[in-house]
Amino acid sequence: MSIGATHIDHIVIRSSDSAATAAHFSRLLGAPIRRTMTRPGTGAHLEFMKFGEVILEFAGPPQPSEGEPRAELAGFVLCVRDIHAAVSRLRDRGYPVGDPKPAVQPGALIATVRGGTHGVPFAIMQYGAIPQSPANEEPEA
Amino acid sequence: MITKIHHVGIVVRSADEALKFYRDALGLPVTADKVVEDQGVRGVLLQIGNSEIELIEPTRTDTGVYRFLESRGEGMHHICFETDDVEAELEAAKQKGIQVIDEKPRRGLAGMICFLHPKSNHGVLVEFAQPLPEGH
Repeated sequence: MSIGATHIDHIVIRSSDSAATAAHFSRLLGAPIRRTMTRPGTGAHLEFMKFGEVILEFAGPPQPSEGEPRAELAGFVLCVRDIHAAVSRLRDRGYPVGDPKPAVQPGALIATVRGGTHGVPFAIMQYGAIPQSPANEEPEA
Repeated sequence: MITKIHHVGIVVRSADEALKFYRDALGLPVTADKVVEDQGVRGVLLQIGNSEIELIEPTRTDTGVYRFLESRGEGMHHICFETDDVEAELEAAKQKGIQVIDEKPRRGLAGMICFLHPKSNHGVLVEFAQPLPEGH
């Protein structure tokens, strides 16, 4: 039975200098950087590009490390229609999945799969899972 | 022009084992499952929205994929961007000073493909793909 995954929401590229890596990929791919932000709590510097339905997220430390930027693919997140049902189905199959928690994206819940994903940091998320008042909404990446 | 993210490539020890998660648990449909003899890999593509996930299992020990597996273990290997003109995209990358792995596009699981060297992309292995009209 499917968990109701609809698409890849975002793919993470972790970099020692996320601004430099995002600028490099923007130039390479001829696509704009759509948004930059600082992750609340950690202070991580994030930049985003978007290709159709998929967001490419560049994540790095608050201040870039010295030397040449070093980046790597660091995981991806799938969108699901019903995160609670998806978590339940994965747990039924024996996968250790954390409880859904509020994501950085307003109104979204995210749950991480902690093992069994063959070396890939993996999570599922659902937009619109938490009702939002208009005053709390932020522009999408 | 880059049109979308075609797939992310994941190197695994056993595609059959990985399919237990990606196909059986997540419910993603398999769209291609082929052994590419000259590359020494078995590639399995699974559809997710307008993109795909590629599981890559080495079938020989004299390949870059096998060396990746031995040195880093299972994990994300590359990201593939779809283009409507892979030759033009490759040439444009060269003009930007990007070091390439494939001087010319070649036939791959995702269509006509080429790889750019990770040294030129901050360590990230990048693939361009132009799907063939007949599909996988």
